[in-house]
Amino acid sequence: MTGRSIAAMALATALAAPASAPGINLPPSREVRLQNGAFVILAEKHDVPLIAFYALLRGGGVGDPAGKEGVAALTGELLRKGAGKRSAQDIAALVDGLGATLGTGAGLEASYAYGEFMARDQAVMLDLLADILLRPTFPADEFDKVKEQSIDALRAAKDDPRNVIRDYASAFFYGNHPYGRPVDGDEATLRGLTRQDVVDFFRANYGGDRLILSVVGDFSAAAMEAKLRGKFSDWPKAPSAAPGPPAPARVSGRRVLLVDKPDATQTYFWIGNLGVARGDPDRVPLDVANTAYGGRYTSILNTALRIQGGLTYGARWLAPRYMQAGSVAIYSYTKTETTVKAIDVALETLSQVRRAGIDSLTLASAKTYIRGQFPPRLETEDQIAGALADVTFYGQTREELEGYAPKVAAARSEDVTRVVQRVYPPLEDLTFVLVGDAAKIRAAVRKYGPLTDVKIAEPLLSRLRPGARDGRHRGGDRG
Amino acid sequence: MKVIVWPDHDIPNVAMYTWFRVGSRNERPGITGLSHFFEHMMFNGSQHYPSGEFDRVMEQNGGSNNAFTSEDVTAYQDWFPKDILELVFRLESDRICCLSFDPKMVESERQVVYSERRTSVDNDNASLLDEQVQAAAYVAHPYHNPVIGWPSDIERWTIDDLRDYFKIHYAPNNATMILVGDVAPEEVFRLAEQYFGPIPAQPEPPGVRTQEPPQLGERRVSIRKFGQTPLLELAFHTGAADDPQAEARDLLVDILTSGESSRLYRRLVDQDRLAVDVSGSVSPEGFDPGLIKLSVTVAPDKGPEAAEAALLDELSRLARSGPSAAEVRKAKNTQLAAHWRHMKTINEKAERLGTYEVFRGDYRKLFTAPDRYDRVTRSEIQALARKTLDAKNRTVGMLIPEKSETSQ
Repeated sequence: MTGRSIAAMALATALAAPASAPGINLPPSREVRLQNGAFVILAEKHDVPLIAFYALLRGGGVGDPAGKEGVAALTGELLRKGAGKRSAQDIAALVDGLGATLGTGAGLEASYAYGEFMARDQAVMLDLLADILLRPTFPADEFDKVKEQSIDALRAAKDDPRNVIRDYASAFFYGNHPYGRPVDGDEATLRGLTRQDVVDFFRANYGGDRLILSVVGDFSAAAMEAKLRGKFSDWPKAPSAAPGPPAPARVSGRRVLLVDKPDATQTYFWIGNLGVARGDPDRVPLDVANTAYGGRYTSILNTALRIQGGLTYGARWLAPRYMQAGSVAIYSYTKTETTVKAIDVALETLSQVRRAGIDSLTLASAKTYIRGQFPPRLETEDQIAGALADVTFYGQTREELEGYAPKVAAARSEDVTRVVQRVYPPLEDLTFVLVGDAAKIRAAVRKYGPLTDVKIAEPLLSRLRPGARDGRHRGGDRG
Repeated sequence: MKVIVWPDHDIPNVAMYTWFRVGSRNERPGITGLSHFFEHMMFNGSQHYPSGEFDRVMEQNGGSNNAFTSEDVTAYQDWFPKDILELVFRLESDRICCLSFDPKMVESERQVVYSERRTSVDNDNASLLDEQVQAAAYVAHPYHNPVIGWPSDIERWTIDDLRDYFKIHYAPNNATMILVGDVAPEEVFRLAEQYFGPIPAQPEPPGVRTQEPPQLGERRVSIRKFGQTPLLELAFHTGAADDPQAEARDLLVDILTSGESSRLYRRLVDQDRLAVDVSGSVSPEGFDPGLIKLSVTVAPDKGPEAAEAALLDELSRLARSGPSAAEVRKAKNTQLAAHWRHMKTINEKAERLGTYEVFRGDYRKLFTAPDRYDRVTRSEIQALARKTLDAKNRTVGMLIPEKSETSQ
């Protein structure tokens, strides 16, 4: 099946902007803090006989020790590969047998478990949830297997550049900062991990005080609260506070990472610098700006590159938001022959928006668009469970969700203009990450800045390790 | 045009799907990919909304849209706040009534579609292999051709091809419209009559006569290409979407590939450690007989031959002994839970209603689907496995990675 536009890409920015609009009825929620610090959110919703849960544990990939990148993700993956008295096979058979879903893993700032099951299966599924979070066994053979599979999966992912360009971008852009750690590790760091590393990570980072658990669906909140208290109240606290990474710095000047994929017939590019943190006070006007500039089909960026330029199938502005400032970046791709043309067009849009701002018609349109598209993001049990856990994780409340739409409506164009100038990077301070056929584009893309060359077959971090991040001082530029 | 409405007042929004019975199945050599290209052109200008206006007006009013093309259908999707219902009818009917074809837009969009092909097929090894397997599995039926089209055809469509295609396929009588959301059916029917009623019906489009002859022996394709990991895909001819055994077939594919407890995951990923991942699907689930496809991302340092041998061993075990009672129960639960998950959003309800109406002949069959899955027996699944997963009926594709000279 072949579609018209890159809907999936929209989610990356959508996650940064959970919000509500008039007319949305978030189900009432009950919030409970257990004595060990665990935070539980419960909301009844009875339209279908399903229950969704979303558990976040503070501390994800940012908690990986240097050189052990990928350990948080491997630990998260292994939660469901043996827990309590159950083997990996028992867990898979149980979950699949009930037609349930269960995912575990780690992102940059949190480890997680999420899933959904039929209401009739809640007793057994809550037992399982408690087992995987509190009592994972990390069986040695499962460790070996999952580690090997993770290495293989990283290699396999490279056969479609869409899967990996953002990992290269993070590693190159953030360098030493914890946000530059590839959450899934790379082939070399994973190879060096031992089972003990996983056990150590689990002991240091999992505990009652790190848990935010939200459960939404077809149950009685009072009964559910009693059950969850019984399962999670005695979970001891983690031995230390969750890792809180320092604020990353904006990068001055230009530099280019060129990832050589010799068979590529098009170039994938990421061009960016530092944006803002999740809690930035300008969040709402910035959401409006991001939507207008590169967050929808008729955005300024997609109009220039796709609609008018015919240069690409899609172009987007990526603006993930973490506790500390995350990156902002242009992302697109174009055939090898039009690499420079497409990048130049993209840069021109950025320059234009910084110089002249965004016109009032476009802003009004973006505001209406955000509000019109918001309700379907908080429609289902799993969406609501995810959103409630997420706002809690970032120190907000459900009022943040419910008050968002009126704030969008009230955003003023002068605020949007001001925030664009504050956050959107100037052209002289940009990091470029390109995945493509290096032999064909190297000479032309030199004009964007000093080059660092890597080959896609090499492990991601092999030449981008902390301490060796700056292309200007490296011998990678062989032409 | 048939219009189906399902009021749902949970959120103040509407999902609207307009399905046209036209896809790559209706194409011929020289114009492969045209249905999909046409899908793009439907956004490039009509009488009252010149090029770019459809999207601009839609987004300006809080709506968004997309579309997709398959072997069998092209579906246009609109997601919007309820207060712009009439506007969306005006936009949708204008392009059916009065589409315009600007040669400049055709050329620009041709490049966009070629970029889409590069990104979703040429630079994605798994998709590239799938294209070759599908082309080998069908020698006569137009399912042989990729939906996105062969590159030389993408370069050469003419504006006359587009005009002809529009006239033949884009008439209200070739469409089914589904709306789910915060709407009143009477108002929807009134607007449909007002905006689509005046657009004349067209003669029924010519049918697709070609049937795929039975496969009489294994076919193999291989691709040698730069890459990090080998890929393996097997395809077996099976029935159409409305085949009486469709439910047994879904359960069979679930038993093989759905979840970490499935047969192929257990054997290839878990036990023998030959693969990174396995997946299964029926493709297309369309008007004509499709394929069961089993795809394996082989572990980079293991040979695809070993993965193939293990996979074939599992298939013959299933055909020989049939699934266990527990496996069948599990697959039925998977389908039941999936059914409820599809009922959670107005978008998925619209998609499911349309799928049942268009491909299985009646949207009401959606509501009885759990019962039909429940009635399937172990022996039916085993009989289907025996008949379908047979050596004579299979196409095997492998992608063997090559290291390019510059990558050494």
